[in-house]
Amino acid sequence: MDLVAGRSIAGERRPIRHLDPVLLLVALLLSLVGLVMVYSATHQSLVALDLDPYTFVKRQALALALGMAGVAVVATLDYRLAKVYAGLVYAGLALLLVLVQTPLGVTTAGAQRWFELGGFQLTPSEFMKVGLIVMLAAMLSEVRREELGLEDVVRATAVAALPMLLVFVQPDVGTTIVLAAILVGVLVVAGARLRHLGLLALSALVLLFAAFRLGAVKEYQLARITAYLDPHDAPAAALYNREQAEIAIGSGGLTGRGFLRGTQTNLDFVPEQHTDFIFTVVGEEFGFVGSVAVLGLFALLMWRAVRVAFLSKDLFGTYVAAGIASMLAVQMFVNVGMVVGIMPITGIPLPFVSYGGSSLLANLLAVGLLLNIHMRRFT
Amino acid sequence: MTEGRTSLRLKVLALLVVAMFAALSTRLWYLQVLAAERFRREAQNNSVRLMELPAPRGRILDRNGTELVDNRLSLVVTVNRQELGDDPEGVLLRLSELLGVKVRVLADRLEDPRYYSYQPVPIAEDVPKRAWYEIAEHPEAFPGVEVVPTPVRRYPYGTLAAHVLGHIGPIDEEQLAEPRFAGYDRNDVVGRSGVEAVYERYLQGREGIVKVLVNAAGEPIRRLGERRPVEGADLVLSIDLGIQRLAEESLATGMQRARGVLDTETGRYLRAGAGALVVVDPHTGRIQALASSPSFNPRIFQGGLTTEEAERLEAPRAHQPLFDRATQGAYPPGSTFKPFVALAAMRHGIAAPGGYYPCPPTYTVPGDASGTVFRNWTSANLGTISLAEALTRSCDTVFYAFGYDFWQLLPPAVQGLQRPASPDEEVLQRELRRFGFGSRPRIDLPSAGGGLVPGGGWKFHTFQDDWQRIDPFNRCIAYWCPGDYVNMAIGQGYTLVTPLQLAMAYSAIANGGRLCQPRVALRVQRPTGPDSADVVRTFRPRCPRIRGYTPEQFAFMRRALATVPVSGTAAFAFRGFPFDRVSVAGKTGTAEVPPHQDYSWFAAMVPAEDPEYVIVALVEEGGHGSTTAAPIVRNVIEGLYGLPRSGFVPGGVTD
Repeated sequence: MDLVAGRSIAGERRPIRHLDPVLLLVALLLSLVGLVMVYSATHQSLVALDLDPYTFVKRQALALALGMAGVAVVATLDYRLAKVYAGLVYAGLALLLVLVQTPLGVTTAGAQRWFELGGFQLTPSEFMKVGLIVMLAAMLSEVRREELGLEDVVRATAVAALPMLLVFVQPDVGTTIVLAAILVGVLVVAGARLRHLGLLALSALVLLFAAFRLGAVKEYQLARITAYLDPHDAPAAALYNREQAEIAIGSGGLTGRGFLRGTQTNLDFVPEQHTDFIFTVVGEEFGFVGSVAVLGLFALLMWRAVRVAFLSKDLFGTYVAAGIASMLAVQMFVNVGMVVGIMPITGIPLPFVSYGGSSLLANLLAVGLLLNIHMRRFT
Repeated sequence: MTEGRTSLRLKVLALLVVAMFAALSTRLWYLQVLAAERFRREAQNNSVRLMELPAPRGRILDRNGTELVDNRLSLVVTVNRQELGDDPEGVLLRLSELLGVKVRVLADRLEDPRYYSYQPVPIAEDVPKRAWYEIAEHPEAFPGVEVVPTPVRRYPYGTLAAHVLGHIGPIDEEQLAEPRFAGYDRNDVVGRSGVEAVYERYLQGREGIVKVLVNAAGEPIRRLGERRPVEGADLVLSIDLGIQRLAEESLATGMQRARGVLDTETGRYLRAGAGALVVVDPHTGRIQALASSPSFNPRIFQGGLTTEEAERLEAPRAHQPLFDRATQGAYPPGSTFKPFVALAAMRHGIAAPGGYYPCPPTYTVPGDASGTVFRNWTSANLGTISLAEALTRSCDTVFYAFGYDFWQLLPPAVQGLQRPASPDEEVLQRELRRFGFGSRPRIDLPSAGGGLVPGGGWKFHTFQDDWQRIDPFNRCIAYWCPGDYVNMAIGQGYTLVTPLQLAMAYSAIANGGRLCQPRVALRVQRPTGPDSADVVRTFRPRCPRIRGYTPEQFAFMRRALATVPVSGTAAFAFRGFPFDRVSVAGKTGTAEVPPHQDYSWFAAMVPAEDPEYVIVALVEEGGHGSTTAAPIVRNVIEGLYGLPRSGFVPGGVTD
């Protein structure tokens, strides 16, 4: 009897029993959808170049496998360890963001974003998103007050400002926005006052204005944003992305044109389609039904993330989960919003779906954290 | 569990997320359900291109199958205005250097309104291969520029038979509106003159269309469908390259010689600036040569006439080279008209083959109070001569009298100048019309002229205003008077004929009384191999009989005219001609066209007994018939029968 009870208690104590299978499944499903879409977006061009049509799919699958291993590792270790090492992780990633600006980093299309590692690209800014979440959560969960004071907000903002600045000068406006969203998300949940948040928004606006005036924003970024604001008076190239994306999505209709049968997709009409514009493949080949299904998966994911925030045993877990939810929500919204033409064009990948190993890996690590918090909600 | 406040904040965050999904789904609903149709079309426009495959135009062959017009490939530079990129001026500048054409000219051609903005506009033709390589190797320097090998017309014999062949050119707005050009495009090329225009529907092929799937870079990915081009059919002409060349060379050389002859009336050299020559088979009406001088090279119309070329064509000294004098030039026939007046006179009992008629130096209409004197071409009194002799020696005064006899056949009211005659009452005109005068020959060439057979009705209609204005008491200004018939009898006055009409009328004398429909086309065919072809259509000769004449009358006329080159008005021009080998019947004509120098005519039938050829020559301001036209025709006959060339002997001042 004792033995049985003991076993049952021991079982009760094993966190794996409280795994959130929905969360894991949804993340895996989105990643698999990503593989399929990446194949559709790239196989034709690869064949035309006499390359293996699965080149991109294989690399992405490798990242997925690596990511799943990462999930296992992250989920096994107690997430509270992350709180301990948050500062170290944060500092390390910040250092990488500095190093990526040196000749060690690779420059493409005027942006310095990643390291070349044995044929693979490592983009530190993708990991910095998760790093910042953990750092902010660790910091703010130590505040033992009902509401955050101004000094807490300032400290948190300072912590976020460093990577934001480093990412902004790459330049990578998209990731900067995501980092800002993480800051706001965590601050809101951690109890920042409304007026402090207002002050934050105001200073952000002033900074943004200054950045434009000082010419820190690259011309093409400006062009894309003005193209969004006034499509009649925009450079042709900026308009082209938008138009082709909309044509792809719109021509999908209710049920889509069928897998590998979208002409916009297969004939290279949409630029950057396997990365930032991956959602156009969903839209064109699987139509409204497919698009809403993918959005549904994201909704499930958000729901599970917010649920984890609710269920978390401690504030650290709640803040981490809230930060991750904010990160995923903003990325999803800005990316799909850009593709369907309700948001300006900024280079943000669609989580799990877009081609890009670092992004997938970072997002899976975030899922691992969520699973971890969920599993250990009783211990 | 999270405590109350945090929970509330989490709920705010969750609500925000819900709003995001709502916004995205709404937008997707709009794009993919409400506006899907439009985007589907745009995707289609993006990815499907129609490419035209040019269908070569049919060739034009002479009756022995020699190519008079065929096709070759020309390298045409086209520019797509929508793909010129950010620096169109730079592209045009580089093109200008490469092609050696001024930038301004290129820019003008680019503005061609015949092309839609998405269509490539041809801006240079026949560019060297070097330019092709240059453009192909540096696509980044020439965005939107392409070099397209395009079939264009080739004229291996240059100006030869240009008026028969005609030219091609871009279709114009008026033609596009015509039903027979249904299905033609604004940038199509069509036949604009000559047989190119008349047989357009056979010569024009149907262009092929390839539907191609293209990628974003415009590179073809695969064919979606194809309509093969159908080549145009070949047109075989009755024109004989050898005869045509002989005709043109004879005409040119004869005119050249004439310019060295002093015109006794004006005291200047003959101008002889233009002329025409027709060689026709009198039994079928098939044209073997049709020459009009000066001529032009149809090549200059390819891709549109340049300003310089247009100016050169229109210069007064150029003598209107585009004008086909053989079918469109209308001239007083002069004495070449006499055989038809004589035939009409025989038919109506005014003259008889065995009759004799006085040939004094002058003639005055009986009872004419004004005493107007009509002179013979020579001041000698030839005495009383036979009808045949009157033709041989071209006695005007004999025919003046015939003219007056026709006057006397008119009803009294017409003779009394009470009313103009009806066409039926005018016997001479009626007979002349039977020979095809006064109406447009149904030749398969555009705009053939009909000439003019004037009558009382025509004269009254034309001159009644002048009559009232100049002298209401002089009724002969508006009414047909005896003098009009007197003039008409020798082919003067208001009468006008074209060289082609005259050739067909002489053919009727030659073939025993049939007025053939003149034709330059023999058949339409499609080549099936190097030496074989499927005949699409054959054009049969049509030669209806002229009623009211007997074969004997025509035989008489041939016999009578056979003495003209031997002992008549053309004897000097034909001296030394081997009549024992080839007999020639002919008639000279000298048309007075004040204020110009006389126009020179000669019409011939060879051999005289059973003619194989009817040859008519006209030279504007070429002097007397025997001076210029007769030597030209002699040279043609010598060439046709392989006789020794006499070398253009101008034959004195005889009619």
